[in-house]
Amino acid sequence: MDGERFEVRSRAARQAVWAVRGIFIAAAAVGILWLFLGYRAPRPQVYPGREKVVFWHMWTSNWAEVIRKICDRFNASQDRYEVVPLTVIGGSLKTLISTAGGDPPDCMAQWEQVIPAWAEREALTPLDTLMPPEEWQDLRGRLYPAVRAIGMYKGHFYGLSTGMNIWAIYYRPSHFREVGLDPDHFPETLDELDAAADKLFKFDAAGHILRIGFIPRHLEWWAPAFGGSFWDPAREELTFTNPKNVEALEWVTGRAAKYDFERVLQFEAGLTTQFEASWPFISGAYSMVLDGQWRVEQLAKYAPELDYRTAPIPPPDGGKTLAGWSNGNFLVIPAGAKNKPGAWAFMRFWSGLDDPERAAEFYTWGGWLPITDQIARTAPYQQYCDKYPQFRTFLRTMASPNVQVTPPVPVQAYFQSRIGWAEESALRGQLSPREALEQAARETQRELENMVVGKAR
Amino acid sequence: MARRNNLAGWVLVSPVVIGLAVFTLYPFLASLYLSFCQYDIFTPPRWVGLWNYETMLTRDPLFWKALANVFYYAVLAVPLGIIFGVGLALLLDSPIRGISIYRTAFFLPSIVPVVATSVLWMWLLNPQIGLVNMLLRVAGVDGPTWLASTAWSKPSLVVMSVWGVGGSMLIYLAGLKDIPVSLYEAAVVDGANLWQRVRYVTLPMLTPVIFFNLVMGLIGAFQYFTQAYVMTGGGPLDSTLFYALQLFFQAFRYLKLGYASAMAWVLFVLVVGVTALLFRSQKRWVHYGR
Repeated sequence: MDGERFEVRSRAARQAVWAVRGIFIAAAAVGILWLFLGYRAPRPQVYPGREKVVFWHMWTSNWAEVIRKICDRFNASQDRYEVVPLTVIGGSLKTLISTAGGDPPDCMAQWEQVIPAWAEREALTPLDTLMPPEEWQDLRGRLYPAVRAIGMYKGHFYGLSTGMNIWAIYYRPSHFREVGLDPDHFPETLDELDAAADKLFKFDAAGHILRIGFIPRHLEWWAPAFGGSFWDPAREELTFTNPKNVEALEWVTGRAAKYDFERVLQFEAGLTTQFEASWPFISGAYSMVLDGQWRVEQLAKYAPELDYRTAPIPPPDGGKTLAGWSNGNFLVIPAGAKNKPGAWAFMRFWSGLDDPERAAEFYTWGGWLPITDQIARTAPYQQYCDKYPQFRTFLRTMASPNVQVTPPVPVQAYFQSRIGWAEESALRGQLSPREALEQAARETQRELENMVVGKAR
Repeated sequence: MARRNNLAGWVLVSPVVIGLAVFTLYPFLASLYLSFCQYDIFTPPRWVGLWNYETMLTRDPLFWKALANVFYYAVLAVPLGIIFGVGLALLLDSPIRGISIYRTAFFLPSIVPVVATSVLWMWLLNPQIGLVNMLLRVAGVDGPTWLASTAWSKPSLVVMSVWGVGGSMLIYLAGLKDIPVSLYEAAVVDGANLWQRVRYVTLPMLTPVIFFNLVMGLIGAFQYFTQAYVMTGGGPLDSTLFYALQLFFQAFRYLKLGYASAMAWVLFVLVVGVTALLFRSQKRWVHYGR
């Protein structure tokens, strides 16, 4: 009896084993089939006779579609080159590895601040060496100051922006009216901004925040309005402790302290994420918030009924108008690129150096800020601004000479991390604003010296 | 015939031998060489002697901060893991109905991917809508901002580490099963109560397993990375900047691969040193029942 049961059980066990094996074999077969049939290799050349220009970028989904359209337009515009775009996630690391392996792309888009770090290591091609001197002079004169600054390192031009980012204040007119403020007259000075923010804050009976009027963050966005700067171009050195920077950080810290920084953090932790449709400004968690120009299109897409306006950062007494900080997407040509002329031809085409109207079209597809006034003044771009009037604030700021970029030092990533650290130290009351900036200055300077001294060894 | 067998043997083990040589031995030795170089991937490594080690020890406050953070974590999380692991194993060794369900329930969290666990805990510890602060609010306590607080960020990660104690619990459970019943019978005959049986039979007999988990736990703690990378990115104010995270930043954010290699070697020496100390100490407290 037992033997029979054992026999039955072992037969069942064998069947089970075969069933499992069958599943694995079937899964493997499907995988192999997918590899052979379903796998889509990177787009092959459409024009096999042309010189290939390999273009890596970091855009996906709808953005990747815009990039593909721009590449198609370039490919259709001439018969020598063919740009083959490829989305590469984690692009900077992969570019590092491909450069080390001697096979980088011909052109690549970046938004991480890599120009000084890579240029210092001779990993990028100076773009000014790819064009005649008069063309470079012309281009140099046409680019907005921030666009020029972000691409320059030690006298050479390494990165041509395809779209800059500018930050301005988004505000809700209905909240303004609710507390007796006139939304048609946005604060023109920092004191007025503070007073408006104080009115717009809302609390429950227990003192918990229900709505943030305005809380400033990111010192580097505010310091230029105070007349501060983190870089002295004449002496080519970092200036963390510029008195105006200290003043700006004191104001940022003071505003956070007034509403208890911990309480602000607690309130913000309960909000939805910052991504697109879930941006808390839409739900009314903020009356005023400093954010980038890309929100304009997002709001048109996800909250078309939302009544909002934009305004530039109001300066303090004696400060600078239309001031701020900028970064952006830019195109670079790695030093080891095989087809540099092709890559440069593509970059010229995209940035509309010969035809601003064409570039304006591309820029409106991406919702990007233009890099020259010529592009901004074209009919397509003006139509875009008419469609999204809130965008004009960013456009006006973009052209301003008071917009700054991250200092051109080869330790930009470290600089950014220390600026953030200094601000947080001051916000949390661990160090005074001056002490925090002094320490950040010491550490960044040491990092720079370590790099130079190590190099000299 | 013997030669043919030898050849067949070498052919069969060659994937492993080649794999180890190319992917483990070579990077291991290369990182030692690179630790004496300035290397940024773009340009060939340049020999700088002990410069990286000098910089690390004398001119990089973040190195010491990261080291202090990882020691803090190791000193708290490893013993806590042992206490909870052994405690759970003792509870789950009881012959009660449905014990395998309980064992599975406690084991499951340890096989959830670390990133998923991290995201889950980010929600649990959310100061405004997280479960932890909601429970504290019920008890009338206004909870801290946990991961956003310099005081609470590391303790939060330590508490979270207990969540994954299921793996070591299973090993303790196997260790408990290995203790001869005759020892308990003898203890009962000698009049030992439950606590005395645990204290004088179970724990001493379990020390080889505790030792194993202690060594593995410490090695793991020194390499603590993923949770901090996902949940805090080293913040706030570098309070969760653990050693491996700082090493990663140095290598791939600041492009200092030589320096990062030097950091890796210092970590290696530290781990070997601490492990050697533990091995030396085991004579005093680990009982192999011989």
